[in-house]
Amino acid sequence: MLLDVLGAVLLALGLMLATIGLYGLLRMRDINHQLHPAGLVTGPAVILVLVACVATGSAEIITSAVLVILFVLITSPLSTHAIAQAARRRPRRDR
Amino acid sequence: MPDLVLDLAAGWATLLLFGGGLLLLRASDTLHRVLALDVLVAIVIMLLTILSYLRDVSYYIDAALALALLALTSTLVAARYVTRGGPF
Repeated sequence: MLLDVLGAVLLALGLMLATIGLYGLLRMRDINHQLHPAGLVTGPAVILVLVACVATGSAEIITSAVLVILFVLITSPLSTHAIAQAARRRPRRDR
Repeated sequence: MPDLVLDLAAGWATLLLFGGGLLLLRASDTLHRVLALDVLVAIVIMLLTILSYLRDVSYYIDAALALALLALTSTLVAARYVTRGGPF
């Protein structure tokens, strides 16, 4: 019962973060401003939804989810950094 | 978790997918499109995870892992393409 509540809260929190991030993405126009809410959606929102796996109580799902969490922890800052670097280094005519 | 919560979460994530599509349509630039696709992949990962909770099967999260791998590679290559005019 307690785990159910915990899972539902984590799921709702993750989806709320994703909604806020998407609103920010739609609101801002500059790429350097957009990177901030995009990092919110690709990092913490996904991780919160994945952490909600504790409520399922299934060993297979939890193992896979932990793998995906570790992977997302590494790759989400990497891809955001790659986009920021490209925005900084691209030729002047593209801006 | 109760099925009602998971159904609501899946519906909400689908709505977020529409928001991501709107973001992709509004993109004016290659980098904006790369960013929009990155966000869309994150939302699809969330959707696959919720689907996995709903069906109580772990395969969908494995598919999400493969998708995250592909998204990382494609984002890095596309960012390199914007900087240097080619993928290498």
